[in-house]
Amino acid sequence: MSLVLPPNVTEKQFQKALDAFAGVVGRQWVLSTEEDRYTYMDIYAPGDADKHTPSAAVGPQSAEEVQAIVRLANEYKVPLWPISRGKNLGYGAAAPNMPGTVVLDLGRMKRIIEVNERYGYCLIEPGVGFFDLFAYLQEHKIPLWMSVPANAWGSVVGNALERGYGYTPYGENTKNICGMEIVLPNGEKIRTGTGAMSNSPNWHLFKYGFGPSWDQVFVQSNYGVVTKMGMWLMPEPEATLGLNMQLPDPDDIGWAIDTLQPLRLNGVLQQNPSIGNSLRVVATRSPRSQWYDGDGALPDDVLRSILDKWNLGWWGVNLRLFGYDEVNQANAKLIKAAFAKHTKQEFEVAKWHRGDPIENSGAGVPTTNPLQIINWRGGRGGHLGFSPVLPAGGEHVLKQFHSTKRRYEEIGVDYYGSFTLFDRYAINVNMMIYDRDDTAMTTKVRNLFKVLVADAAKEGYSEYRTHISFMDDVALSFDYNNHALLRLNEAVKDALDPNGILAPGKQGIWPKAFRGVRA
Amino acid sequence: MNTVPRFRSLAPFMLFAVTMSIAICIGMAHSRVPQAKPAYDSAQKLEEGNKLFHARCGYCHLAGGTGTIMLGRRLGKDRALLESRTDLTADYVKKITRVGINGMPPHTRIEVTDSELELISAYITRPASARMQPPLTGATHE
Repeated sequence: MSLVLPPNVTEKQFQKALDAFAGVVGRQWVLSTEEDRYTYMDIYAPGDADKHTPSAAVGPQSAEEVQAIVRLANEYKVPLWPISRGKNLGYGAAAPNMPGTVVLDLGRMKRIIEVNERYGYCLIEPGVGFFDLFAYLQEHKIPLWMSVPANAWGSVVGNALERGYGYTPYGENTKNICGMEIVLPNGEKIRTGTGAMSNSPNWHLFKYGFGPSWDQVFVQSNYGVVTKMGMWLMPEPEATLGLNMQLPDPDDIGWAIDTLQPLRLNGVLQQNPSIGNSLRVVATRSPRSQWYDGDGALPDDVLRSILDKWNLGWWGVNLRLFGYDEVNQANAKLIKAAFAKHTKQEFEVAKWHRGDPIENSGAGVPTTNPLQIINWRGGRGGHLGFSPVLPAGGEHVLKQFHSTKRRYEEIGVDYYGSFTLFDRYAINVNMMIYDRDDTAMTTKVRNLFKVLVADAAKEGYSEYRTHISFMDDVALSFDYNNHALLRLNEAVKDALDPNGILAPGKQGIWPKAFRGVRA
Repeated sequence: MNTVPRFRSLAPFMLFAVTMSIAICIGMAHSRVPQAKPAYDSAQKLEEGNKLFHARCGYCHLAGGTGTIMLGRRLGKDRALLESRTDLTADYVKKITRVGINGMPPHTRIEVTDSELELISAYITRPASARMQPPLTGATHE
């Protein structure tokens, strides 16, 4: 990977900046070899990894070192792309949006500063991974549960900042943020909420502070570097009760969503269940070549024969109740009765009680096994997720499902989708799995993505999160009053970060200095 | 991979032999015989490599992990578990860790430092004489 410099920075100036960074963190933690640059690229990129090439990486160990680096970045006009652990797989991984940006890798900052059992929270640094926090809670026998995303290799802080989600009642990870420490683009360090008092015991208990509440302003934004985060954890329940069902037909998802949504809204169901098509099970367990080698998307009848063979439905519904055993039983009765109006099938029931192995509990237990899917197409696999948000209504879900599946079939990619039901909305993650070495295929996938963004925008849907290659497309679909919100975002950006050194282009927010780079 | 079953059948003997050799080394180190120190260091380094392998690679490369499953599909079950492989060189382990392979992403020098990778690759490519030790940390890290 040859060196790509940041815009308007000479090689001499760049080297001076790296030397200055080394003065802060030590030479060992300025990573600037060819191989280093390669390790920060998006390995799963849909054929355009070279559009997001980092120039180097720097790894501070403390908030104070972050402050010093940010100040130097301003001095040398070298932009930084903060990452927590760089495992934003399917969304760009560790790679920056703008080529030439230096990755600010916070992976060395991995202190678990506090876990408070009484009030159910932790205070952690960005380098703490889901596996680290899980191991800590287990080792210290702390009965608090995490909310963990499907692939749990990444950072707890990073995932919450990207609005990732898990499947417990604490599943909306960004909702669990309570009080952060942030280094601003000018190098100043602030604490949000009551953390702004020098002695408050409420920093991780009360989100709002006094006056404007800032936590969410630093989520999916490029206004600061989060160096500590307070995060609420769920008390271990007495019991959990899983209800699993395979739905045989594609259109079953319509009534399933309409049946579950009121139960979700009124609190009978407290977690966000994911209803996924069974290709995700098939792709985890086997390569595509085992079933089909022809052109085009996997034909419906081939899929049907796989599903029959493995006793799978078209969709899998996995629900989980958390709480006191008797309450779970009562709620399960309500859910079963609601489903009985549409199907004669019975739920498969999975019971867990405190003291049973945690793996069977429905608690967030980290794993990387869902990564298995990238083997589906063979070759060097890649994946990309298109994830629009839509109303949690059967008619919306059915329409979105059919139109997306049709788009996939037009270009010969296998439909792989899931709908995760929240109380009022659903997130529809559509995975595209491709062979990275097949240029024709990656080009088609990239184009498909843009078509899907445009289709969604026509319905008034946007993604909840996107890959670095499509941040501008999604940001520009927020078009009310001539993109007034984007103009506000960029006005704030310019006020906080006049040199535009922090994560240019993140979420489509471009600082004045680099606005010309916008795709 | 004919070697794996052969070693397996020798396991009870090898375990005894390795345990004894470590005991001897430790004993010698304690009695301050200078030549013995490198052997002790090397056992300790392998143990550090073992721990690091479980902590940094274990997400995917222990039994049941995604890397183990992928390798099993590509190369067969007897070559799926990295800890049991005898056909890898340290340079290969280091290179693949850095640049990735197939579905496996690259690893930066912050995620796994060069010195950590040195210990991990030494552990993965440890000599047959060091193989039959029961994994000291495996159970707790899984």
